[in-house]
Amino acid sequence: MTQRLTRAQLGVTDAMIAAFGETVFALSNNHQIRRGDPVRAKDFAAIEAHRHELGMGDAEIADRIGLTPAQVTLIRNLEERRRFRTGHYHMLNALGGGKRYRAERFVPFQDQFRFGEEALRLRAAFSFDPERVRSHVEQGWWRSDTLSGWLRRNARERPDGTALVDKRGTVSFSGLAARVAAIAAGLHHHGAVRPGDVVAVQLPNGREHVEILLAASALGAVTTTLYMTYRGAELEAQLHHSKARMLVAPDRIGDFSPARWLSTHRSELPSLAAVVIVGAEVPGTIPFERLAAGAPALPRDRREPTAADPFLLLYTSGTTSSPKGVPLNYHQMLTNARVGIEEHDIRAGDVVLSAAPFGHLYALYSVEMALGGGAAIALLPAFSPPALAEAVERLRPTHLFAGPAHLAACLGAGLVERMDLASLRLVVLSGAAVPPDLVHAFAPHLPNGRICQLWGMTELQAGLYTRTGDDVDVAARSAGRPSPGTQVRIADESGRALPPGEEGELQARGPSVFTGYFENPEATAGAFTPDGWFRSGDVARMDTGGNVTLTGRLKDVVNRGGVKYNPQEVELLIESLPAVHQCAIAPVPDESLGERACCYVVPRPGAVVTLDEICAFLLARGLAKFKLPERLEVLNELPLTATRKVIKARLRPSPTRLGPQPATPRQGREQTRDRSIQ
Amino acid sequence: MEKRPEVDPVEAKAEIFAYARRRGALAVGVADLDAIERIAPRGHRPTDLMPRVRSVVSIGVGGQTQGTWKVPAKAMAYFGSTETRAYSCSYALAFFIESRFQAPSVYCPPDLDNEEGPRVPLQSLKLHAELAGIGARSLAGDILLHPEFGYMYFASVFTELELPADEPLAENPCPAPSCVDMYRKQGRTPCMKFCPVQCLSGKIDDAGRQAEMHYDMAACAEMSEQYEAVPAVLAEAMAAGDETGRHDALFDPDHKMLWYKMSVGSGGLLAQCFECMRVCPVATRAELADPIRRARAQAGTGTGTGQ
Repeated sequence: MTQRLTRAQLGVTDAMIAAFGETVFALSNNHQIRRGDPVRAKDFAAIEAHRHELGMGDAEIADRIGLTPAQVTLIRNLEERRRFRTGHYHMLNALGGGKRYRAERFVPFQDQFRFGEEALRLRAAFSFDPERVRSHVEQGWWRSDTLSGWLRRNARERPDGTALVDKRGTVSFSGLAARVAAIAAGLHHHGAVRPGDVVAVQLPNGREHVEILLAASALGAVTTTLYMTYRGAELEAQLHHSKARMLVAPDRIGDFSPARWLSTHRSELPSLAAVVIVGAEVPGTIPFERLAAGAPALPRDRREPTAADPFLLLYTSGTTSSPKGVPLNYHQMLTNARVGIEEHDIRAGDVVLSAAPFGHLYALYSVEMALGGGAAIALLPAFSPPALAEAVERLRPTHLFAGPAHLAACLGAGLVERMDLASLRLVVLSGAAVPPDLVHAFAPHLPNGRICQLWGMTELQAGLYTRTGDDVDVAARSAGRPSPGTQVRIADESGRALPPGEEGELQARGPSVFTGYFENPEATAGAFTPDGWFRSGDVARMDTGGNVTLTGRLKDVVNRGGVKYNPQEVELLIESLPAVHQCAIAPVPDESLGERACCYVVPRPGAVVTLDEICAFLLARGLAKFKLPERLEVLNELPLTATRKVIKARLRPSPTRLGPQPATPRQGREQTRDRSIQ
Repeated sequence: MEKRPEVDPVEAKAEIFAYARRRGALAVGVADLDAIERIAPRGHRPTDLMPRVRSVVSIGVGGQTQGTWKVPAKAMAYFGSTETRAYSCSYALAFFIESRFQAPSVYCPPDLDNEEGPRVPLQSLKLHAELAGIGARSLAGDILLHPEFGYMYFASVFTELELPADEPLAENPCPAPSCVDMYRKQGRTPCMKFCPVQCLSGKIDDAGRQAEMHYDMAACAEMSEQYEAVPAVLAEAMAAGDETGRHDALFDPDHKMLWYKMSVGSGGLLAQCFECMRVCPVATRAELADPIRRARAQAGTGTGTGQ
């Protein structure tokens, strides 16, 4: 023993430690070999012959290498210390006492929370203000809700309750939970999807869409939805920007084959590791049903997703710019859905039908609420007026989430009068400006239901809605009041909150508002006011009761000689003309006034539209003269986003000069009206 | 000097065994002192500790309960203080021999050798137990196993009382037949396969007996004997560049657990693991390794103790 003598006193130098450290360690009993069973056999000869292999004492080592025993003890101790690692109990903690160590399954502690590089970049988009987080948590908005947690709860509390209902029949919550668990395992094993990875989904509103959404959630992966109308360029842009690791798509969308398209574009999508196809098998892809069959179950002790984990990476519809990625976590989405369940009166056993595609956040909102409320999700794979009418009659929804165009189409097709709408307790309208006339026209057909108007955005889900107890007039003329937890204000250009009745930008903040666009710092910087309000870009006014009426988009403003107005109300009026199918108003440059309003119209088949008729109609409805359009472009179709919103940036008037209106208007030609409005 | 009363060694041995069993020993044996003297290295022989020693009594107490082996709870990675039962039993036994037979006795401390430094035990309790016939060396780093009682903790008493020695076990229960089968198929026994730090390897001969046992004690110690954890934390704190770093080093959640374990005397972060024994069929499923079965056997037959 060293008797607390120092290295110097023992005569041990650094050079000696370096020279003898390995040797002393190797000769010591740190590594032991026993041959046979000599002690039990009292085979003293064998014991002596192999004694050195069981490790030598320090004195023996000292004799062997020519040091003193104390020097060897010191060097051995230093060498043991140099090699010694602490913290191995993490390994046992991770394994748990009763488990067997399996090297192939063991994930070192420091790697357990490791995400892929792309997943980390996505997580980095969540830069929450700590004060806001504290506030959301303390006020109870942010809890521990996750989508897979809601599914588990339903499977536990109402295993036989209906989770999905479609033409094929029903799926119970326990059945859905089992199927989701199997698909989650398949995603992991066949598709190499890890927590935090992005799974891109381009599917109709079918069982597979719900299943993949829930399975990705169970795995801790992130879903990005692709609109069914997306083809080559749009697909590539979103798959590339989202760094999707997997695409789940049908074998065909009309005459488009996603798998075939990918076969020639895969090299441009380095993050894409697997393609899963629903429908007919396609070589080089994974059949969807294989995901659900045969994969080993996920480890029971894997890390479950938490409410703060990313859940969705959705893209804005891109009416005014390129689509922007909006990362959202469970806190943001499910807090909003949880309060919506109560506000929209969704109860266990209800049936929630979305006419909007699940690729749209509005439809996902209905899915979240159905799951959170223990209601069934009714599935309408593709909207058409007859399909919606059939779904309502067959599936008996209590809640219908639709866009105004859906109802307008049903009304236009004369289906509403013949539909049995008695099951509906609530019809929610959102996704586009809601014409008041539409609400008034539809409401009388609901014997047991109400209409709700809702305003939302990808960046905050449901921000405003009218309540079930509101008068129909409120739902017709406004998008209602803020969802619980959401704060809104109408602000002028300087960010000053405006009093009721004044028009300004609608701004919001609260627990469901996003924190920034994915890898788009410029857009993020422009999306928030210095004091943290999200700038919606929508123009609105609030009445004294707090109900907010959307009047247009900020970027749609027409600045006619310094007089600014938003043309949305004009567009809605023009679209109420029987001859008009669609209408959009956008400014065109003007040398004297700066801008004038140009009206782009798609007439109904066989109808003729003239600027004079439009203006006469608008004046008759009491519109101010300065808001009258001064030019008319008749088109076959308007440029639309995948969510059927007009892309006004693509509206371009034909080259012309102001002059007399042509005598015989034709489609694709312009009409102008030279007016002098003071 | 007063002469000790005459004692029949066989009767004395029976009384000593009976006492040890009453105190909780499952197995008791007397080791061949001459054999220990020949095998133990110089400085670690019984006569080095007690020059007039005539007998070495070795006792084994039960290891874990069946429930403990089976629970999945992480907290049970360490079983806690079980070995102290063996020490208290042998401590009492030393008093008993002195009071009953007036023969000076020593409870052999399960301690490190002050003369030879860390990782060197004063005496090999394992050697005593093996020669006393209450355990045989296993492939799991020479941990002793008993064919009936499986895995036990051992302690020894040195005494000047002359007692007839027992023989080592005639057969080594390790490897168990199922382990031999696994070795034939996979080249590893359960203890080798499931060791978290992979410190075990070895060979089994054609007759199903141990041919070689390889044990990386340094690797095992990193898992099972984290005695350097405390100085490592202190060294880390001293090396920290600022007050925050020092504070974090001392009070981070992991280290706070360490201070707790130390303050309450729990060895959870200092000595743990037991994975090789958890998967050992002899350790956990030997006929009387299971306290439940042992109690039933005792109730039914009145047997159940060792030699």
